[in-house]
Order: sequence, then structure tokens, then C-alpha cells
Amino acid sequence: MARIIVVTSGKGGVGKTTSSAAIGIGLALKGHKVVLIDFDIGLRNLDLIMGCERRVVYDFVNVINGEATLNQALIKDKRVSSLSILPASQTRDKDALTKENVGKVLEELAKTFDYIICDSPAGIEAGAMMALYYADEAIVTTNPEVSSVRDSDRIVGMLASRSRRAELGLEPIKEHLLLTRYSPKRVEEGEMLSVEDVVDILSIPLLGVIPESQAVLKASNAGEPVILDIESDAGKAYQDVIDRLLGETVEFRFLVTEKKGIFTRMFGG
Amino acid sequence: MSDASIEFKGSSFTLSVLHLRTSILADIRNDLIKKVAQAPDFFYLVPVVVSIEKLVGAIEYQALKTLIEEFNFTFVGFTGDVEAEQRKLIRELGFSFVNTTKVSTAKKTAIEQENVTKIATSAEDHLYTDKVHRGQVRSGQQLYAKDQNLVVIGSVSAGAEVIADGNIHVYGSLRGRAIAGAKGHHKAQIYCQTLEAELVSINGNYWLSESMQQHWGSPAFIHLTDSELTSSKLI
Repeated sequence: MARIIVVTSGKGGVGKTTSSAAIGIGLALKGHKVVLIDFDIGLRNLDLIMGCERRVVYDFVNVINGEATLNQALIKDKRVSSLSILPASQTRDKDALTKENVGKVLEELAKTFDYIICDSPAGIEAGAMMALYYADEAIVTTNPEVSSVRDSDRIVGMLASRSRRAELGLEPIKEHLLLTRYSPKRVEEGEMLSVEDVVDILSIPLLGVIPESQAVLKASNAGEPVILDIESDAGKAYQDVIDRLLGETVEFRFLVTEKKGIFTRMFGG
Repeated sequence: MSDASIEFKGSSFTLSVLHLRTSILADIRNDLIKKVAQAPDFFYLVPVVVSIEKLVGAIEYQALKTLIEEFNFTFVGFTGDVEAEQRKLIRELGFSFVNTTKVSTAKKTAIEQENVTKIATSAEDHLYTDKVHRGQVRSGQQLYAKDQNLVVIGSVSAGAEVIADGNIHVYGSLRGRAIAGAKGHHKAQIYCQTLEAELVSINGNYWLSESMQQHWGSPAFIHLTDSELTSSKLI
């Protein structure tokens, strides 16, 4: 039985697509069969971040409208064979999506995949609601910044009230907090909300803290999910996230500024 | 206009009923002697209602009352499933007739209900029940405890609204809006473990965060004194 995970936030630009890509590949590298679905109809990005934009023939809306089969639309990742991507449509409208037809596609995918990761668009309108409706778990991506935290709180409220699990009175969606673009230096200077502040306001279990990293921009432009950049802080942090998702207890890294030794300071680093 | 010094309320009490099977006073007396002897302290001053349901023919009501009181019972009145005529007669003779539950449970409950609701809607004292909400109240959510107090076990996020006709208790941080006494109850109060609210209001009198600075960030409770909002330290 496949686990449906939605990567959502409320606020835009906080790292949903970056995180979906990293987590998708990370889980697949551990041997699981993963499919990534881009729910941002009209503003598709997942294919760019995954580096498969030149191989998009059919998309999610084509499948829903019966113009293509799932097999025709799914793009197998070149790096990890157990990972597939279902891209969004760039030209069509999100009105093509309804609860029923989205449900049918997910049911079909659940037969072959272990994890279905839904990359949600920003906002709280139909697109975002559709992405979270069928979720079993949710990764709420938040920046340590007031408007992001407020919007995340809103979306957590919606996970608890507007999802299928809420409507049917089933066990609630398992919520995870993913704090992205964290800068320990700025937290120490009092400019940025700390992990404790955010967790206190949102009160959902912390899944991971991804440090602000230049590696993310590099990764996006190259179409190589940042988790593959094993030298970078962000890559390592995402690796910790995968381990925690799979049930391991991993200590949180990158929460404090590293104290540079005298040699590192003299000779760079 | 409310009566300040008295209040009539419907209520149920368990009363001992003495069922008479004969109207012959001598027999009744003998049985009572035996009964009371078993536990004299137990029966002393016990309120008793005398059921004359099974009696036929003429009944000496006054004699019965005197007999009962001879044994130090507290005579309340007569009872039984009897005709309206007989009930009327008993009352005319100056004795109380206590309606049996069989005949008028519905009526009695209706009277009690009426009394209870009358009390609930009278001006000064409000006896609201509590509506309990477990869990966070998230931004954008609204909770309304209609004709009730509201108890939130969790925090109220900024951008959330909790409203009650009665009091509001937040076992957590109050960061959103709390509106108590929404229907005009000016004795409503707001309690929270950490006061960081955007707005608090009691019966229409409101404060924005800037007025809450005295107890900001601490456990506090807010109430009205002469139509002026006041905040006090909670613990």
C-alpha cells in the first residue's frame, strides 16, 4: 500500500519543489519505488529541478482527460531507475483536476509505487487543496520567517480539516515540519526565528532543518536535486531527513554556527 | 424584574412513600409501631408522603396525618393514582397532594426544564456548560461556543478567532483573537497561560495588543470592572 506524502507550505518560494525532488531521489536511492507528481498546473517546475524537462511528452492533465496512459506520461529518472516523475501541464488549467479523477490516478499509481510524493503549488486554493486531499503524511515546508510561519499554520489547519482523512474521520494526516533556509548565524544575532520559536508556534514534529546553502541554486540550474551534492550542507541535511522519514532517530545538524579553528580561518575554508 | 432574595426552582427529591393498604387506623398504628421499632433513629423526622391509592371508601385524612406525626415522621402530603375529584377534595381539606411520578413525569420534567432555562436566561447569573476543544486552533480557524463557555486545550494561533457566549479559557498561548460574552454577558472572563493576543473583547469592550502590555507574555486573565477591561496576573 503506497504512502501518499504531500509537500506543502502555504507560502510560495520556501523550498517545496527543491525538497520534493531531494526527498524523492533520496527515498528511491534507498531502494523504494517512488513517483513524484507536480500539482502546480500552469507553473510547472518539478521537471526543471529534476532535469527531465526535455523529456516531457504527456502530462498529468493528459492522463486525467484520458488522452494518454500513465505509462506514457511517467518519466523514468535517468539516475535512479525506481524513481518516476509525473509532470504538470504548462498550458492547461488546474480546473481539469477534480477529487474523483485525481483519486483514480493515485489509486492506479498506488499499485506500482511505495511512495507517492505530491509537490503542492503555493496558496490555499484549489491546486493546493487537491494536492493535500489524499495525503497520508504531510511535509510542511517553512522558512524561519514570520509570514512563512503564519501561512504554514494556515495550511496545517487545512490539513486537519479539509483532507479526505478529516472528512471521513480517519486517523489524521501525519504532519512533519521541514524548516528550510535556516541560518544559525542570523538566529544567533537575533535576526531570524530559531527552531524553537517556529516549533513553539506551529507545534508539529520537526522532521529536518535545511541550512541556507548556495548549493541549492546550483542544483536547480543543473537539474540535479541537491541531495546528490553530498558535499554540501543542504545535501547532508536532506539525507538526514530521508533517514528520519524512514524511522531512524538522527541528531539535528547545522543548527549552530561552526566554530572555525585558527588554521581554517587563516587558510580559508 | 428579578426577586433578589428568593428563587423558585424545580427539583427532584427522593421521598419515602408510605403505602396504606387499609384505612383502619388501629391496624396502621400497630404496623407502624413494629416498623419504627426496627430503627427508630432512621425514621425520626423523615419526610413522608402517604399513598392512599389502594384505599376504598371514606378516608379520614386528618386522622391519618395525626397518626403519622405521632410517630415523628414529617408529614408532607398525600399521593396516589387517584381521580381528580379526590385530589381536589384533599386540597380543599387543607392537605398537600403530591403528584406521583407515574402520572406526571412528563409534566414535572417540563416544569423543571422551564425553571432551568428561565434561570439560564435571567440577567445576572449564567450557568453555562463548557465546550472543550482539544488541540491547536490554527490561523484562519474560528471556534464559536454558542451559549457555552469555551475551553481550549492547546494554543490559539495568530490569525485564529475563539468566540464564546460565556468565558474563554486557553490552556496554552493566546495569540489570536478572543471574544467572550458575545451575547452580552458582561461578567464573562478570558483566561490564558500566555497573553500574546491580537485582540480581546468582553461584551463588546475590546483591547488591542498595545493595551495588554502590563501582563504581556505571562499567564493572565481579563475581565470587566465597570465597563473597563482589566487584566490581572493569573499565577
